[in-house]
Amino acid sequence: MSDYEFHLMQLADSFFPSGMFGLSGGLESFVKSGRVKSGNDVLRFIRQQIKFQLVPCDCTVLSAVMHSAKKDDVAGAVEADNRCYSMKLVREVRTASARSGRQLLNCLVNMTNDRFAKKFYAKVEAKESAGTYPACLAVATSALCIPQKSALRMMLYSYCASIVGSAVRLGLITHIEGQSILTQLARDVNSAKPAKNINELWQLTPLAEILQMQHEQDDLRMFIT
Amino acid sequence: MARRIPRVGIGGPVGSGKTRLIEQIVPVLSKQGYRCCIISNDVVSKEDAERMQRVLATEAKLMPEDMIIGIATGGCPHTAVREDPSINLAVIDEIEQKDPTLDLIIIESGGDNTMTTFSPALADYFIYIVDVAGGDKYPRKRGLGIESCDLLVINKIDLAPLVGANLAVMKRDAALVRPGKPVEFVNCRTGEGVDRVARHIIRGILFDRPVQRKRKG
Repeated sequence: MSDYEFHLMQLADSFFPSGMFGLSGGLESFVKSGRVKSGNDVLRFIRQQIKFQLVPCDCTVLSAVMHSAKKDDVAGAVEADNRCYSMKLVREVRTASARSGRQLLNCLVNMTNDRFAKKFYAKVEAKESAGTYPACLAVATSALCIPQKSALRMMLYSYCASIVGSAVRLGLITHIEGQSILTQLARDVNSAKPAKNINELWQLTPLAEILQMQHEQDDLRMFIT
Repeated sequence: MARRIPRVGIGGPVGSGKTRLIEQIVPVLSKQGYRCCIISNDVVSKEDAERMQRVLATEAKLMPEDMIIGIATGGCPHTAVREDPSINLAVIDEIEQKDPTLDLIIIESGGDNTMTTFSPALADYFIYIVDVAGGDKYPRKRGLGIESCDLLVINKIDLAPLVGANLAVMKRDAALVRPGKPVEFVNCRTGEGVDRVARHIIRGILFDRPVQRKRKG
C-alpha cells in the first residue's frame, strides 16, 4: 500500500474529526416534509444531490484548489474557496462547511509540515478565505499526495456514507439497507466528472435549499443541517 | 491567535440537571465578576439553549443572548464532545475571536450515559452530574464519566428520602471509585450547594484569578 492510499483511508474514515456526524445534508428536512420515506427515496435524494450540487460545485472547487496547490497558487485557492462559500445559499450550510473546513485544516497542519497548507491556513485564519470543506479537503489531499481522482471519489463517498448514516439514525432504514444503498452509489461516485474551470461552477437544488432554510428554524431537530 | 479562554465541560444523563446547574452557577460566578459563555449541545432540540437564553440573558441580564449557543449533535452527544469535537472547537474559535476577554466557556454535553467524557482538546475541567432519582447505585456502578471527572455532582438531594436513595452510601461509594477526588451534593432547584460547585470551578480552572474589570451586561 502506498502512503497516499493510507491517507485516503485516514481522511475517509468516519473517525477522522470533520464534524460530518452532525450533518444530514438536508435529509432530515426532506424526511420531516414527508418527501423521503424509504430507502429508495434516500438513494434518489443522494443521487440528485451528487448530480446537481456536489459534482458541479463542491467537486469543481476541490479540483480547482488541488490545481492551485500544485502550482503553489494561494490566491487561486482563495478565490475558489470564496466562490464556493458564496454558492452556499443556506446560512447553516455555509457555516457548517466553513467550520468543518477550518477544523480539518487545523488538524492537517498538526499532522504535516506542508508549506502550501500553512499558507492557506493563514489566509483562513485572517478571514481572507472562507475555509469551506471542499477547499480545505483539497488542500489536505494535496498535502498528503492523494491523486485528484481519488480525492474526488473520497469526498463523494464520505458524503454518501454521512447521509446514509443519517438515514439510519433517523430510523428510516436499517444498517443492512444502508450498505445496500452505498453499494448502489458506487457508479455515481466513480463516474463523477467536475467542470474543468472554476468559472463553470454551478448548482441547482432549490427545493433542498428552501427546506434547509426552514430546518434552520425548527425547534426539534437532530442534525445541524 | 486569540487568547485561549478556560473551558469547563458539564456532562451527565438526560434529566440529571446539567442545564439547571449552569443556570445556578452562572449567577454565582457573575456576582464575583466572572464573565461566561455557554455552548449547549443538544440531541434533538434547542430547548436547553433557548431556556438559558431566557433565564440568564433576557430575565437576569447576566450575559448577551448570543453568548448562549446551541449545537445539534446528530444524535451522537458523546461524539460531539469527545471523538470528534471539531464543531464545538470551531464555535469556540469564533467565540475567542469575538470576545477574548471572557473568563470562562461552559460546554454542556447532550444527555448521555455514564461513559461520557470530554476530549482534553475541548474541556480543561470536567464536571459530571447525576441525580439521586436514578438510585444510590450510581457512583458504585462506575463508568468513565463518574470515575474520571474532576468533580462529581449529585443533584436532587431533596428527593433522596422519596426514592429510597441513601446519600451516605453514595458518598462512601464515590470516595471508593474516585479516591482523592471531590464530590458535591446539591439541589439545583433551590441552589443548595451550588456555591461550592462554583468554588471548585474558580479554584480548579480559574485558579482564583481575581477579576480586574467591571462586569459587563
